[in-house]
Amino acid sequence: MIKFRNVTKTYGEVVALKNISFEIDKGEFVFITGPSGSGKTTILKLILGEIVPDAGEVWFNNINIAKVPAKDLFKLRQKIGCVFQDYKVIAQKTVEENVEIGLAVVGITEDKWTERVEKALKLVSLYARRSFFPAQLSGGELQRVSLARALVINPDLILADEPTGNLDWDTADEIMGLLTKVNKEGKTVVIAMHNKEIIAKMKKKVIKLTGGKMASEKII
Amino acid sequence: MNFHLKSALNSVKRSPFQALAAVFVLMITFFVGTVLAVLIYSSSKMISYFETRPQVIAFLKNEATSQAIAALEHKLAADLRVKEVRYVSKEEALSIYKKVTSDNPLLGELVSPSIFPASLEFSLVDLTHASKVISEVKEEAIVDSVGFTASLGGERTLQDVVEKLRGIARDLKIGGIIFVGLLIGTSFLVLVVTLGLRIATRKEEIEILDLIGAKPAFIRNPIMIESVFYSLIGVFLGWILTFIIVLYITPWTVAYFGPIPILPKEPLKLVGLFGFIFAVEAFIGVSLAIIGSFIAFSRARRLR
Repeated sequence: MIKFRNVTKTYGEVVALKNISFEIDKGEFVFITGPSGSGKTTILKLILGEIVPDAGEVWFNNINIAKVPAKDLFKLRQKIGCVFQDYKVIAQKTVEENVEIGLAVVGITEDKWTERVEKALKLVSLYARRSFFPAQLSGGELQRVSLARALVINPDLILADEPTGNLDWDTADEIMGLLTKVNKEGKTVVIAMHNKEIIAKMKKKVIKLTGGKMASEKII
Repeated sequence: MNFHLKSALNSVKRSPFQALAAVFVLMITFFVGTVLAVLIYSSSKMISYFETRPQVIAFLKNEATSQAIAALEHKLAADLRVKEVRYVSKEEALSIYKKVTSDNPLLGELVSPSIFPASLEFSLVDLTHASKVISEVKEEAIVDSVGFTASLGGERTLQDVVEKLRGIARDLKIGGIIFVGLLIGTSFLVLVVTLGLRIATRKEEIEILDLIGAKPAFIRNPIMIESVFYSLIGVFLGWILTFIIVLYITPWTVAYFGPIPILPKEPLKLVGLFGFIFAVEAFIGVSLAIIGSFIAFSRARRLR
């Protein structure tokens, strides 16, 4: 499903990724780990087409992402559910509207919104707070809004950047449980994370980065 | 309610002063545009009135025979420069005189048909032919003298009046179009700047939508709807303001211009004229809004 072939990405003088190659198959649950600045988020940005590699190729569903014209990137992104480290929820919209917008973007008709939004919000335990605005929520709750928006579109792939970064242990456990559940339903899950305890507990495939290079690729 | 429409209305509610500024500038533009359209309509009607009313009266000699009169009438009717030829007998001339002096019957009693000359009245297709046609008619044996509609004075005066009206109408059209063009340009810039500000305030939202896979049209539509909304409100306010002013001054214009139909007299036709102006302005307004939102959006994307 995802292939990185000799990918290098630099930001000016800083080398974020250097000659990285790996593959992620459909239905896999993969952690990308490493210390801060090791290139975890860069990998997610490359998959999302937010940035292009300086060298090498990034493939998603047999499409070379760098070759996709900017105007057609939305087609690729509609197949990916993203949970962002900084949540990326719209401040002027309620929790419910933030989740609805995910459905609107992929073109799901409005008559199906209520049921799907309700299901997604109940899954992340935010249904009771559906009419709250982001400013009224905690970091963990915002993370769950971001997750609900990613799940509601029923994507092929879920990309999550530090999805438990702002959560207490119990909520983090809940979120990881949710991601495991959707993975069992056949979705591919790719998580950038540095929390070794969670990674160790989950026993999934781990791609470890150090200074932009691949240190290891193994199932822990 | 449609998702994009809801987003657009929320955006208007969030920054009402920017919305008001855009609407007011557009309102002024379309107010001036509507006034100009009415003035162009009125001036063309005025010119047409002066050009089509009977302008030339050929007074006939007393000894003119009916055959000679009929021959001249036929000759004029066959002339492509001339239209609506009408013979006015001495008796008809007297009755016209009596009608005109009906408020003082004594004046009518004192005259007999014999003192009024019979005449041939006609108008010209185009007043540029006036001098030539008049000199030709003057040379006819049965014609005593030739005159223009009395109220307008001599042939030089009539030509001058129509030429002056044409000049005013032409200047009005050119000046008005330049002025409205400048106003449309200004409104367009204000619209683009306002939308640019809107896009800047929604930068984060646009970035999020972009990342979760929104099509460019999905991101652009609320901005476009918002700008169409400003335009239509601006068009409507400018148009209704002019309509109210025209209705308010109608009694005065009717009294001042008398028989000259500078505006339609039937209410339905007046509404029809204003309906047509509104349709044209709405089309221009919506086009401005759509082009403006495209430009503002593509500029914002380039700057990102």
